[in-house]
Amino acid sequence: MSSGSGNVQNGPAVSTSSKKSLRVFSDDIWKNKTAKINAELFTLTYGSIVSQLCTDFQRDFNKVNDQLFAMGYNIGLRLIEDFLARTALPRCDTLVKTSEVISKCAFKIFLNMTPQVSNWSNNKDVFSLILDENPLSDFVELPMDASKELWYSNILCGVLKGAMEMVQLDCDVWFVSDVLRGDQHSEIRVKLNRILKDEIPAGED
Amino acid sequence: MTIYSLWIFDRHCNCIFDREWTLKSNQASGTTNSKQNEDTAKLIYGMVFSLRSIAQKLSRNESRNEIRTIATGKYRAHILCTATGLWFVILSDLKQEDLSHVLRYIYSEIYVNYVANNWLGPIDFAETEQEKRGQGTRKITNRNFVRGIEQFLSPMVTR
Repeated sequence: MSSGSGNVQNGPAVSTSSKKSLRVFSDDIWKNKTAKINAELFTLTYGSIVSQLCTDFQRDFNKVNDQLFAMGYNIGLRLIEDFLARTALPRCDTLVKTSEVISKCAFKIFLNMTPQVSNWSNNKDVFSLILDENPLSDFVELPMDASKELWYSNILCGVLKGAMEMVQLDCDVWFVSDVLRGDQHSEIRVKLNRILKDEIPAGED
Repeated sequence: MTIYSLWIFDRHCNCIFDREWTLKSNQASGTTNSKQNEDTAKLIYGMVFSLRSIAQKLSRNESRNEIRTIATGKYRAHILCTATGLWFVILSDLKQEDLSHVLRYIYSEIYVNYVANNWLGPIDFAETEQEKRGQGTRKITNRNFVRGIEQFLSPMVTR
């Protein structure tokens, strides 16, 4: 959602194992290698997309949710390349590392926010991202008819789904709560279904 | 510095771009996305694939061990593998120790800008199940991309 500068890095600069360096590393990319745009312009652009979709689907908010998710998915498929080009990170070995990279690195670089990771399931295949601030929904107040069904920022779920699928993680991503609906905080749930296998050429197996 | 050729493979094991320079004296010489190079592409893919799995099996600790260069008696291959499964391979003469910065530049400034951020072009070059697993023949033909590669790499062909 912002364009890169001409800097090129040599190889992976950090290992994803150390928490602190990942934060410093992302701060550096955000400060030095990311062109900034006006957040309000971004917020308003997203708002106009959602309102147009609500009109197009005659306020059938389930369809709007699906459409936002599909749009996000297509963004994620492409955004992951931008992300990897900027960070030069290798694949993550565990979902714990993946969650750290998503919260500390990806959200930081693209939206300048760092959601908290919490609510791990026992076997570490489901986690939640708690969004304290959400630039997509600044200035927004849901109308009465939308407040039960519309997940306003559902595009984020699609982006996560698409981007993770490209690094061979098949996940389900969905909102469980949203401050716009009067909840305490906004929470995105991420569930790993399986790790996809890399393809091998025909006749090799 | 002499660069002989550039190859890009996608996660479906297909070669999605190839550029080979044949004459050192003429930067515009050679072929782009040539059908005649299909077999060579498959051989290069196989070489990288095999050595990559060997490297990963032989790494001591659990961290990943990606292969970067392969040298033979006549040329050196420089390899960049991304987490999304793209491979960028450059063949050069033996004087080049490490072209990883060149490969990174091609990925982050040329591929990302002209292929990934080009919404009207495809991001996935295998449209059907039959085109996956190394059996597809679709190529990146987008003009901006080809021009970007040409502008960036041509000076290195002869220098």
